[in-house]
Amino acid sequence: MGDCQSLGDCDDERIARIYEYLDGALSCEDLTEIKNHLDACTDCSQEYDLECVIRSVVKRSCKEAAPETLKAAILARLHAGKPAAV
Amino acid sequence: MQTLSPVARAATDGELRLSIDSSVMNTSEPEQTTSTETVSTPTVAITDVAGVDVANESIEARRARFERDAMVYVDQLYSAAMRMARNPADAEDLVQEAYTKAFSAFHQYKPGTNLKAWLYRILTNTYINLYRKRQREPLQSNADSVEDWQLARAESHTSAGLRSAEADALDHLPDSDVKNALQAIPEEFRLAVYFADVEGFAYKEISEIMNTPIGTVMSRLHRGRKLLRDMLADYAVERGYLKDAKQLTETEK
Repeated sequence: MGDCQSLGDCDDERIARIYEYLDGALSCEDLTEIKNHLDACTDCSQEYDLECVIRSVVKRSCKEAAPETLKAAILARLHAGKPAAV
Repeated sequence: MQTLSPVARAATDGELRLSIDSSVMNTSEPEQTTSTETVSTPTVAITDVAGVDVANESIEARRARFERDAMVYVDQLYSAAMRMARNPADAEDLVQEAYTKAFSAFHQYKPGTNLKAWLYRILTNTYINLYRKRQREPLQSNADSVEDWQLARAESHTSAGLRSAEADALDHLPDSDVKNALQAIPEEFRLAVYFADVEGFAYKEISEIMNTPIGTVMSRLHRGRKLLRDMLADYAVERGYLKDAKQLTETEK
């Protein structure tokens, strides 16, 4: 158990840190701090796992292929030299 | 991570300025290197960048370069446009328009800087300036109250014991539920989350794409992720993958 007995302590600021950690936006000291914390705190490490799952689910679900007709239309307009519509 | 530089040349064309007027554009760094200066640095990237003489490039060469470099992002831009426009026909229009604008402005794009972010910025601006106005939908009219309500619910769902069960449940959600959940959160939050989680843009890049300060990006992400979580949990409950949070909290006591 880490330094948080209840979610109260870890809820907001730490979770924000977890987001930033996953976003690759933390400084070196913060990185070390959050890594140590995740090792020690079950709640936050579950929070971390959940956030990872959400990101992968969102990534997976939002992958769309542009229709071939769209690609063709873009190229056609590109070659027709039509200026951008106002 | 590549950093994006501020605008070099102010675009003279009013329409262009509207669409792509700032930081993802070209740069006016004083040390505009010429090919003679870079000869001594034999890295592939620099040779490649120096190899493009944007000012004297023929229209055919520019078109070929655009096709080669920009068309690879069409699936990604289309996916993002689907999160903006909400239906395939409008998403296609949006992407078509963004590509047309991007090509018109391609001489202002500095080779070697982040092309994907540059294209996303154009797409986002096209959506905001052109498309959303046309939709005439009161997209954000009640965003604040909706958001407060959603956030209040999100708070009430927070329970540590839920986490691992929740992760499993969310992992099994069909794509359509995930897209609907994303669609249900206010637009600025949705796009911020999309740019970060799906495209992996850094905060600074998102702030340039959305033309907002980094602090705003971070708060949009934070709130957007909370809302998204809650929506996803609702879908998981609906599908029977997850017990209702309140019931679960009761049984844990």
